[in-house]
Amino acid sequence: MAEFLLEIGTEEMPADWLPVLGEQLGRVFDAASSRERLVPREIDVAWTPRRLVLAARVLERQPDREERMFGPLLRMARGPAGQWTPAGLGFARKMGCPPEALEEAAKDGASEPYVSYMRKTDGQDASLILPALIAATLRGLAFPKRMNWDAWLDDGKGAFPFGRPIRWLLALLDGAVIPFRIHAVENGVRGRVINESGNVTRGHRFLPRRSAGRPVTVRSLTDLKRKLRARFVLLDPAEREARIRDALASHLARIHDDHGLIRTWRDLVEFPAVVFGAIPAEFQRLPGEVLEAVLVHHQKYIPIMNEGRAIARFAAVVNGDAGSEEIVRGMERVVVARLRDAAFFFEEDLKRPLEDRVKDLAGVVFHEGLGTYREKVERIIRLIDVMGPKMGLLTRQDHEGAREAARVCKADLTTLMVREFPELQGMMGGVYLRAQGTPRLDVAQAVQWHYHPLSIDADAPPFGRMHGGEIALFAALSVADKLDTLAGCFGLGLIPTGSSDPFGLRRAAQGVIRVLLDFWDVDAGEKRPSMRRLVMAAIEGHEVPTGRSREEIAADLERFLIERLRFMLVARGFPPDEVDAALGAREPDALDDPRECHLRLEALHRARSEAAEDFAHLAVAFKRAKNILGDGVHAAPDTSLYARDAERDLDAEVTRLSKVGSGYEERLKALSGLRGPVDRFFEEVLVMDEDPRIRENRLGLLARTLALFLRVADVASLTTAARKTEEEAR
Amino acid sequence: MTLQQIIMSLSRYWAERGCLVHQPWDAEIGAGTMHPETFLRVLGPAPWKAAYVQPSRRPADGRYGENPNRLYKHHQFQVILKPSPQEIQDVYLASLVALGIDPALHDVRFEEDNWESPTLGAWGIGWQVLLDGQEITQFTYFQQAGGIELAPISVEITYGLERIAMYLQNVDDVFDLEWGAGVRYRDVRREEEYQLSRYSFEQAGTDLHRDLFERYLAEGWKLLDDTERRSYLSAYDWCLKSSHAFNVLDARGAVSVSERAQLILKIRKLACAVASAYVAHQDGDAREGASG
Repeated sequence: MAEFLLEIGTEEMPADWLPVLGEQLGRVFDAASSRERLVPREIDVAWTPRRLVLAARVLERQPDREERMFGPLLRMARGPAGQWTPAGLGFARKMGCPPEALEEAAKDGASEPYVSYMRKTDGQDASLILPALIAATLRGLAFPKRMNWDAWLDDGKGAFPFGRPIRWLLALLDGAVIPFRIHAVENGVRGRVINESGNVTRGHRFLPRRSAGRPVTVRSLTDLKRKLRARFVLLDPAEREARIRDALASHLARIHDDHGLIRTWRDLVEFPAVVFGAIPAEFQRLPGEVLEAVLVHHQKYIPIMNEGRAIARFAAVVNGDAGSEEIVRGMERVVVARLRDAAFFFEEDLKRPLEDRVKDLAGVVFHEGLGTYREKVERIIRLIDVMGPKMGLLTRQDHEGAREAARVCKADLTTLMVREFPELQGMMGGVYLRAQGTPRLDVAQAVQWHYHPLSIDADAPPFGRMHGGEIALFAALSVADKLDTLAGCFGLGLIPTGSSDPFGLRRAAQGVIRVLLDFWDVDAGEKRPSMRRLVMAAIEGHEVPTGRSREEIAADLERFLIERLRFMLVARGFPPDEVDAALGAREPDALDDPRECHLRLEALHRARSEAAEDFAHLAVAFKRAKNILGDGVHAAPDTSLYARDAERDLDAEVTRLSKVGSGYEERLKALSGLRGPVDRFFEEVLVMDEDPRIRENRLGLLARTLALFLRVADVASLTTAARKTEEEAR
Repeated sequence: MTLQQIIMSLSRYWAERGCLVHQPWDAEIGAGTMHPETFLRVLGPAPWKAAYVQPSRRPADGRYGENPNRLYKHHQFQVILKPSPQEIQDVYLASLVALGIDPALHDVRFEEDNWESPTLGAWGIGWQVLLDGQEITQFTYFQQAGGIELAPISVEITYGLERIAMYLQNVDDVFDLEWGAGVRYRDVRREEEYQLSRYSFEQAGTDLHRDLFERYLAEGWKLLDDTERRSYLSAYDWCLKSSHAFNVLDARGAVSVSERAQLILKIRKLACAVASAYVAHQDGDAREGASG
């Protein structure tokens, strides 16, 4: 095998794209080179903001291939006397062989013989195939946003948008250059060559000081890594991250990296070094959230707390071997300028009680067609009332607190601080309520966090930030606010499609689901909210839109929520087929109780990992059962109508298992024991008996068996053994 | 380096690289992009290279001359190159060296920051260039202007002159900058900042500006609708004036959130119509050239 090495040198790619692009690069090349029978192995990817690198071992030459090609039916290809017909001769010509070389062969599923030819194709050298694979790989990368950069590829597709302009290409097979060219588009057609692959890379933009920018010749991945290191580029993201963590080691206890900045830093630079700056004491009085917004959101600096838990310093990454005093001074100056603005806003805002601003919301439009924020707040309160007295989800005290939080939650939209730092919405409401001495800290907390959760990760904020009753207030307000937005936008027909989601509805839906999954904790005997009922209540809060009924809107929104739930569960690492199985369970279904769905999924995942083969069998059997049953409703089976042991055994087993256990996992494990009786039922019993009574009875038994599972998981959604193994092999 | 030396260095640097050194647009605009030498020249196939200073008025950013970093009117040095040269990042970085900034001794980075102008129907892909954490340049590959997909792609480099000067002169207050000839920024601009801020926050007549806004737009449309004598360049003047009238209204707090989107849309419609008229005119010229 030979080493294929590809380095795509680009202008700076956005940091948060890179891990995804790296993963795609490996996957796309794997698929493309496998299709070309180059049997890729040891695929390795790495990146920096200025390069995407792929290395793989591939065959030096495609294996020769023999494939049977089918021509016309034998009786069409040869006449009665055995002479070749024009159709037969035509096929031989197409295959490039004399007609004598054609054979008679049987085709799957056909009763008559065909003429056929065993076509041999000589394998080609990998070096001849790789240029097309490079094109396919470049084309196969999906960017969150592509740009036109006047480039053209000779792969038949022409115009070649990419994430950022490509400035060099290194493409080697065992050290020999694989030729590849990118052209310019000139007047809409292919123009001059703008990139030609070579054996040359480039180091850091500015380092080492005198020789930066000079081309560097490379032979292999090892050579590339070594030479880049000497030129201030650490190709391996893990190594860059380790270097950052080392530099931060003595501060880690006083850092909250809630925003994943260390990961971002890793992909912002090619050679990270960490520097530390100070925050003048006068600004340390500002609320931590404000300091954090300035440092984290605007500068990507990590706040560091002092002994008194005040943010007194910050850490920043620089792209080089060391940070000079001058660099730090520049950074501090930017931070101070921002903080000076923030301090001014803070003082100004505090001059007026937040409470007082509530009435101003009548003048702030929430969304065209959905009224002002004052109206939105009224709708949120009504929704909280539904959760409280009507659905009994909130205690009297929590209900009253949540109402109060809803009333003031949007008031900070009129503050200078939020106008300047929109990402502080909600946050500032909480901060100002506390600074102005509210007696209800739980209300302040709920207001502060109500735009959250913003991330779908289980341990992302506000996880761990609230306790006891605060969580109930937050959960009610957060869900009510988001569902109101979703219901309103869906009512206006603003349903996200493709990559377009200008109102952040996906995030809102995921926020609702995450609150229900991770924050709506109930003690024994208490009720969990029905998402379905809340959706309807939210839709009822809006005026009936013209041309659509509430039921239609609810159906759209429910479908959307289920899709987001599925996305989140897959993102949390569950195999997609298990997620579908859990989503297919009934009573309560996932819409009524997403958290129950999550519990079922965890149970299914564990039970299946212990009895993979049983579940694969059951999946096959249940797919079959589902096909047979269709959409019909079937009466419970009558035991006296059973004619065979396999029926009686299955019935007995189903009856026994319907009483087993209360926990999902326990039940699933027991249910996996149905494999034997189910298999036998299908082997020995013909469901579609001629006697309609027996047939209906057997359908009833199947339906009952399926129903037993549907309380936990729709097992028919699981992939079957063959596909699973295939997936693992890939 | 004084502010005027920076301007002269950049002008010389880009002139040596084939740019026409143009002059600022002679009316109130919010950014160098709105200058016809950028907004219209990026349309169509004809190559173009120009550089100019553009005083940029942003009424809502006014701080009565009291904030050391914020200004009602700041200065951009705008470079527009069509098509974008291959090594443009390196060419840009060399312009920093020409200003005396050694990137090897600083932290100079290209960080993702895509640019969009809803009023111009324009957007692009690019970065903010950070110098030790301070944004000193917006670097954009234009993708669309006036609602029209661009080909070839232009690159726009917008230097923030005050910020670069503050960095080079190591001052924390913009009004402490040395403009040139021993004169400070304060002496040149402080009173202007104060009065412009006071005007746009306190004195600007909202009824007048509302009226002007609509009438400017109407005048622009009148010119475009005159198919015999379509003075689209004059129409663009009125479009820019309506944009400034909107900015004054906005700073004055006279525009609600929902109305804001509607007013911006009105400006964009006119800007897009001007862009279409410009392209149609260029195409007409090209056809005449080909047939003649």
